[in-house]
Amino acid sequence: MRILVVDDDSLAGEITAAYLEALGHEPVIALDAMEAASQLDTLSDIALIVSDMHMPLINGLALLEMLREQGITLPFILLTGDEPPTNATQQPGLTACLQKSADLDVTLAHAIEQAFKA
Amino acid sequence: MSVPAQSLHEKLNQLRQRFITQLPIRLEQTAEQWQASRASGEAEARLAPDLHRFFHSLKGTGRSLGFERLALLAEQAEDALTDACPRADLDDFMVALLRQLNDELAYLQTDQGQQKSLAALNSVEFTQHPEQVRSRRQRLIYLCDDEPEHVSPLMHHLRCFGHDVVHFADTDTFFNAVLTRRPDAVIMDVQFPHGQTAGTETLTSLNRLTGQELPSIVLSGHGDFHSRLSAVRAGCNGYFTKPVKPLDLMLAIDELTAPVDDEPLRVLIVDDEYEVAEYHALMLEEAGMIVHQVHHPNDALSALERFSPDLLLVDVYMPVCSGTELANIIRQQPEHVGLPIIYLSSETDSQKQISAMAAGVEAFITKPVVPDELVSAVRLRAERLRLLRSLMTRDSMTGLYNHSTTTDLINKALAQAHRSDGRHAMAMIDIDHFKTVNDTYGHLAGDQVIITLSRLLKTRLRLSDTIGRYGGEEFVVLLRDVSAEQAAKLIDGLRQDFELVDFHAGDLSFRCTFSAGISDFPNYPTTQSLRLAADQALYRAKHQGRNRVVSSTEADNDGE
Repeated sequence: MRILVVDDDSLAGEITAAYLEALGHEPVIALDAMEAASQLDTLSDIALIVSDMHMPLINGLALLEMLREQGITLPFILLTGDEPPTNATQQPGLTACLQKSADLDVTLAHAIEQAFKA
Repeated sequence: MSVPAQSLHEKLNQLRQRFITQLPIRLEQTAEQWQASRASGEAEARLAPDLHRFFHSLKGTGRSLGFERLALLAEQAEDALTDACPRADLDDFMVALLRQLNDELAYLQTDQGQQKSLAALNSVEFTQHPEQVRSRRQRLIYLCDDEPEHVSPLMHHLRCFGHDVVHFADTDTFFNAVLTRRPDAVIMDVQFPHGQTAGTETLTSLNRLTGQELPSIVLSGHGDFHSRLSAVRAGCNGYFTKPVKPLDLMLAIDELTAPVDDEPLRVLIVDDEYEVAEYHALMLEEAGMIVHQVHHPNDALSALERFSPDLLLVDVYMPVCSGTELANIIRQQPEHVGLPIIYLSSETDSQKQISAMAAGVEAFITKPVVPDELVSAVRLRAERLRLLRSLMTRDSMTGLYNHSTTTDLINKALAQAHRSDGRHAMAMIDIDHFKTVNDTYGHLAGDQVIITLSRLLKTRLRLSDTIGRYGGEEFVVLLRDVSAEQAAKLIDGLRQDFELVDFHAGDLSFRCTFSAGISDFPNYPTTQSLRLAADQALYRAKHQGRNRVVSSTEADNDGE
């Protein structure tokens, strides 16, 4: 399926995209929230969003809020370099909050599976 | 899906290369930004977000790519920058960190450095899978016997315990079958029409031909010396004289094919130094253990959860959190109180060792480590914990989970099922007239019945099902992801097989039956209510004449 990857660090975005590709998905990368919004406008088949937490101006959680305000309810997975903050994991509409690590492929696969199970 | 792991690997390697190529410029820029930010308060406020983001993203990306040490250094920088009350030596600290980052980068730029960090990464990836490979309990058994009246009861008993049995009436067909597909065990008659020891001779020539001994049990009409000798020469593991008691034979087969403790020991290594962790992991893996490494104390707790090791091997000196502190954190959690922890250190100071012991550390191993010493220290303690755990959680006679462990496991399974909308079924099983068995045939015979039923449950149910002995002659089973109807059908199949098993007490032989009650989740949403409903259904089964399976739903319908 088509997955939107949002990360201001292009290399980090490509790593995430590589993992998703290996899982058989079709990732598209956006470098910030604005680009993410325009990708969502143009590509109607995006089924899930994987976003970095720390980005300048609009961070991952703010992006999630922004999308929800616009009525976009796609599953949303947040990536962070830190231990997932506890208040973030309770954010309504957030599918999962994953820590960036070398086993991101496993945790991502699991989170995506969970997102579509519900 | 035809391009997964390999291309991911290649892609990640390319990204790693790019990351390393870009890093010198980024580090240089950051060093300049850092200097500039120290010039004035205004500059600091302007540059702080960029600096923070650089170290933050270096941490995340470094970790994703497996460059754990880079990530660790970046994390220290990030922490230092975001600290509410900045450290007094912040300037020196940051300069030192930037220098260490450059050193690490230089190391990664060499072939050897990168290979090592990748090797460590790959081994971490690799260790996530082996634990799933577990031997199935079902065995392929070849029975070679030309007397049909012996064959059918044997076949029934073996199949009843879930074994796959193939019968051969003559030695030639058997011979060819072994060469085509090797069985887990052979039951062989000694005498055949064409030779007094034709059976054992066939085994001998097969062993010679294949260079491997077939696990085998020999049946014979005579206990004479000549027959026995031929069996020994054929390398047989057991010798039974006809008429054979099928249950005894079954137990012998079980023993013969039971793997010798097939679960490798699991060790979690916590060491901030990649190469050191890798080196120790290799030693332990060489000795057949499964090793998982984390290179940051922060990751230790989640690794404990996910990997559930038998032992923890910890470096004493680590940044962020010392080995002693880590041991204290772990010991504060009740479920890890018994986990053996071994320290690795270059510390020969006995005073320091004693203070580590106070945190509940089992042993100290001084670097440089002698491989044999490490392996035996780890094995000794890990096996002791395993034994202890199994004594605490299992019923000594049957090896099934005891009452309290069963309840814990069922609670856990239900909690998970609540989250994932799962459905499970519970069966309470009770042996009919068990007291009469004990009174009539003696306790040994009674034990035989209990052991047989527990083996039947173990061999026929899935590994994911929870099987417990609730006490006496009562068993409880939690069957995952099945409906009450499916569970009733399954348990009824076991019931029909169980009632045909012949038990022996001296010269007497007898048979036993059981009754069972079934309830299901989420109809009954708690362990307590599930158990109660299953119990009531079991009572109903007993009341209706025993030797039957009743579901809690039927019990509701029949009007009593």
